[in-house]
Amino acid sequence: MTGKGTAGFTCPYCGKRFDTFEELKQDILTSHRGSPLPAPEGQIRLIVNGQEHVENVEPSWTLYHLIHDRLGMTGSKQFCDRGACGSCTVIMDGLPVLSCMVLAIECDGRTIETVEGIARDNHPLIESYVEHHAMQCGYCTPGFVVTSKALLDRNPDPTEEEIRDALSGNLCRCGTYPQHIIAVREAAGRLPGHKDSGGV
Amino acid sequence: MKPFRHFNAQSVDQAASLMAGYGGRACIIAGGTDLLGRMKDRILPSYPEALVNLKTIAGLDAIRAEDGVLRIGALATLASVAAHPEVLSNYRALAEAAGRTASPQLRNMGTIGGNICQDIRCWYYRGPLNRFSCLRKGGGRCYALKGDNRYHSIFGGSVEKGCVAVHPSDTAPALIALGASVVTSKRTVEAEQLFSVRLSGTTILEGDEIITEIRIPEPSAGTSSSFMKFALRKSIDFPIVNCAVALTREEDRVARARICLNAVHVVPRRVTGAEEVIQGRTMTEDVAGEAAEVAVSDAKPLEHNAYMVQVARALVKRAILACGG
Repeated sequence: MTGKGTAGFTCPYCGKRFDTFEELKQDILTSHRGSPLPAPEGQIRLIVNGQEHVENVEPSWTLYHLIHDRLGMTGSKQFCDRGACGSCTVIMDGLPVLSCMVLAIECDGRTIETVEGIARDNHPLIESYVEHHAMQCGYCTPGFVVTSKALLDRNPDPTEEEIRDALSGNLCRCGTYPQHIIAVREAAGRLPGHKDSGGV
Repeated sequence: MKPFRHFNAQSVDQAASLMAGYGGRACIIAGGTDLLGRMKDRILPSYPEALVNLKTIAGLDAIRAEDGVLRIGALATLASVAAHPEVLSNYRALAEAAGRTASPQLRNMGTIGGNICQDIRCWYYRGPLNRFSCLRKGGGRCYALKGDNRYHSIFGGSVEKGCVAVHPSDTAPALIALGASVVTSKRTVEAEQLFSVRLSGTTILEGDEIITEIRIPEPSAGTSSSFMKFALRKSIDFPIVNCAVALTREEDRVARARICLNAVHVVPRRVTGAEEVIQGRTMTEDVAGEAAEVAVSDAKPLEHNAYMVQVARALVKRAILACGG
């Protein structure tokens, strides 16, 4: 963010703006002396599935592009690329969001969870989705699993209505909707600590 | 998407000065759910040179009730507005409107400031690669007038030019019914006065003007509010018609009412005629029906959207009755 933009000079430490380079220099010498160097423009630090990544990103990259094409986690799927289908859903700081409509450069400091992390942790959702075959072609499935995981994180025992509401932003063109409710209910029952899970 | 520069604003002043520096060639990004779709489809003849991100400004997403005013930061997400206990108990129409917008994921991303500033959804305007250079983009004509206008205005076009694209916000009518005002970096305006028909824009905001807060006065005793939305799907859909009502009762009569329809006109449409009908009367189904009739009495539907008049009439009646008897 350093340098001459259309509207003067921006301090790379605090974002304050100055008309001349001299003023910027003076301010950095007085206010930021001894601070560690600021991160270069476009560099972000984020945690994906528990692992920290430092990446240099272009402003036009979406979070989906970063996760899928750059970090190689191909579980998230691009379908509509306009925020209307839910197949690219990831969990950001605990909330399900659409990675195709989030700019990667705005994810500095965020914690992301993708379907890979959910599978790695052997979440009961994976097994119950397989058992109840809550898919046909399978393209939308990672988005559903991620959205369901976010639901179970904040509501470990959701009702059918609550599952319907939580999954209402995910489209399945094969029409597997009834199976998701069965699968999520069953996964909830297998969560550690659930009354039907046999204790833990 | 094409390349652009990106700035994380640290303050509203900094964001405004960046916007002023770019002189209309930059865009504000908050939730991004409307803007990125517009950029990916390249619907406009011009493309922003830079985006100024407001999410890095601390405190702009706070929701708090103080001194009889509910103050909602412009960056508060629709999900947090819909779930806020104060909104749920005293501003029912807003909670319902925010909770019926788009889908759960989009409500976690989209902000209330962005929801009222969002661009129109007319399918000619939104045609990828600026396929239809329509009036709203500075082109020669409105394609919806002769084309498929099933989701367009039933109350005529904008005063000067004739664009018949409707304002698609769900929260805007709720805010207008609840008597909200909108605080920007330059002024405070009544929510009702915020909307306007402009080239590639839906508000009166200047290029470097940023909404910072929405203020809603605490409803007086005996007030209840409601919101109704008609859309083809229950989720991930824009309204075909929506309606918000705020009613204040004294004894068993209606002392004050504010009724606002949206998605039926180029800007949210407060129907004062219908408000006058119910004022001072005891609410019955017939009275609500009478008000609904007045609300659509001046409708001038286009070739394909006469059904919207019927929908609007039904929603006004139901939203009034949903405020309780």
